[in-house]
Amino acid sequence: MKKLLSVFAMLLLGISLVACGEKTTTVSTSSFDETKKINVYTRDTTSGTRTGFMEGIGFAEAATSDSVLVQGFIIKDNTGILSTMAVDEYGIGYVSLSSVNDTIKGLSFNGVAPTEANVINDTYGLKRPFMWMLRADGDYPSQDVEDIVKAFVAFLGTSDGGDIINNQGAIALPSSTTWDSIKANHDVCIQNNASVTVRFGGSDSIQKVAQALTAAFMPKCGNFVAEHDHTGSSDAYKRTNDPAIKDTSVGKDVGFASRPFRNAELDVPAIRRGQLAWDAIVAIVNLNNPLNNVTAEDLKKMYDGTYSTWADIQG
Amino acid sequence: MIAEVKKLQFRSTSRGKTTDKIAKIVFMSAALLSASFIFVIAGIVLVRGVIPFTTDNLGIGRVSLFSFLTGDVWLIGETFASNLYSIGFIIISTLFITLLSLAISFPVGVLTALFIAKIAPKPLAKVLRTVIETLASIPSIVFGLFGAGVILKIVYDFSALIGYQSKGGNSILSVVIVLALMTIPTITTISEVAIRSVDQTIEHGSLALGASKTQTNFKVILSSAKSGIFTAAILGIGRSLGEATAVSLVAGGRRAGISFDLLDTTSTLTTIMLEGLKETTGIDYDIRFSVGLVLMVVILLTNLLLNAIKRRVGVVNVKE
Repeated sequence: MKKLLSVFAMLLLGISLVACGEKTTTVSTSSFDETKKINVYTRDTTSGTRTGFMEGIGFAEAATSDSVLVQGFIIKDNTGILSTMAVDEYGIGYVSLSSVNDTIKGLSFNGVAPTEANVINDTYGLKRPFMWMLRADGDYPSQDVEDIVKAFVAFLGTSDGGDIINNQGAIALPSSTTWDSIKANHDVCIQNNASVTVRFGGSDSIQKVAQALTAAFMPKCGNFVAEHDHTGSSDAYKRTNDPAIKDTSVGKDVGFASRPFRNAELDVPAIRRGQLAWDAIVAIVNLNNPLNNVTAEDLKKMYDGTYSTWADIQG
Repeated sequence: MIAEVKKLQFRSTSRGKTTDKIAKIVFMSAALLSASFIFVIAGIVLVRGVIPFTTDNLGIGRVSLFSFLTGDVWLIGETFASNLYSIGFIIISTLFITLLSLAISFPVGVLTALFIAKIAPKPLAKVLRTVIETLASIPSIVFGLFGAGVILKIVYDFSALIGYQSKGGNSILSVVIVLALMTIPTITTISEVAIRSVDQTIEHGSLALGASKTQTNFKVILSSAKSGIFTAAILGIGRSLGEATAVSLVAGGRRAGISFDLLDTTSTLTTIMLEGLKETTGIDYDIRFSVGLVLMVVILLTNLLLNAIKRRVGVVNVKE
């Protein structure tokens, strides 16, 4: 009964606050209390944005594990983090650059402001590239597949492809070419390709972008069939160019990676690999927060619990 | 003339019988179809839900059922590489939240029903009934958006007022308020029907004995309708236990440790199933079916318990 009463009292107080909600906001804008705890917001472990963010701040083990994060973190989705950060003065979260708006403050990362221009000129650091890789010429199941793959890569570099990439929240590399102006170079797209299957694979973070791209490209290129099987960035190289794997049942015609190529992957001639987009992530705080810039180390310390109050960051 | 009519009647009845037969078959197959869905759904959830406990999950290892049901960390270690899942703390917080939301929605709902059925003037009652029915049909995502957009802020400001640093308002309190808002219409509609079907002679008897209107309403009418009101509570609990979308928008996704702090984040069985569901695979996907299985068992047990209590509460003279 006592509990019931206290719940009632709380509800009544809550309701009475609706009336003075506006006033409370204007009062609270004046002061930011640095001794308050940092409320850490994160996406859940299945999120590609979380992987990108954690790897970007040098805290890769937190990409798939909640146990290494600070106690009492809050899990929300992209929109949830965005809307909560407009309310929670002492929160820190991260969202993809495309969803940043003026209800929250996007922090500069290592001194560089989070803008699309800074991502494209490669100065903003909290980002990862979306890369593609192809098989060797003549190493495709058929000439049609090879031609479609070449046409697809050309499509990635057009503004039509760029629009689709941007719609998925990534940032396409700038281009002024349209598909209509280059499609004459790709005769394969005029014929009916309904019986041709092209296999796409590699990074699962790129899967949504890749599927949107193939879905848009299929009708432009004779309705070929796109088969998506995304297993991880390392498989972009292994399943297209590693002699031990590329010809097995998991072999792919196009592989995607959500990180720069490295080591043996760089032995693949530059003409057969490239970048299609950037995936940029922004650390965000409430508009009242005086913080404007963070470093990778700051963010890591906030997410692993080394910094527990906002005063820790200033000092 | 008469003969013709008789002939017509005869023909129509014989056609009527065939129609009856066909209708019976159609209705029966519809009933069988809808009943079989229960088995199909329960079956699929069961088959997928036991995978984490019976296989070694592609090398990750078997999940221990005991620690799954009793532990207080959702997942220790890396996703897709660890089998240390547990939902003990989530089962408890789910029940706790359901109970709290019922503590708000039940009295409010029943009193509203009493007002509509017995006290309000007829035109007002009609308007109120329509309002409540409309409220009952609002989709849960709308309640969720309202919760995320308005209630979170109210709870956040309220916590700041009492000097508590809330996590953006994501809390048990927010969940309880959203669920209460969602269950009040359910409870009101059903209780109102129950209250209206109380035999008027009982009411008149009470008034004739000199009881006031208020005494009659509380002591006679409500206690006569208690069986129906109890049904309302059962349905309200069912809605609270099963709600995922609205709750996940205000719960905050607690991943470890049981907490009864009204202003701290929480998780329910439904939110843990929903979060990341669209992007996950393997054991992390299958385990959600196991959580669904546990949720179904929890709902079943709650319903059995409540129905047992309901039978003991009994029925008093209700108009058939």
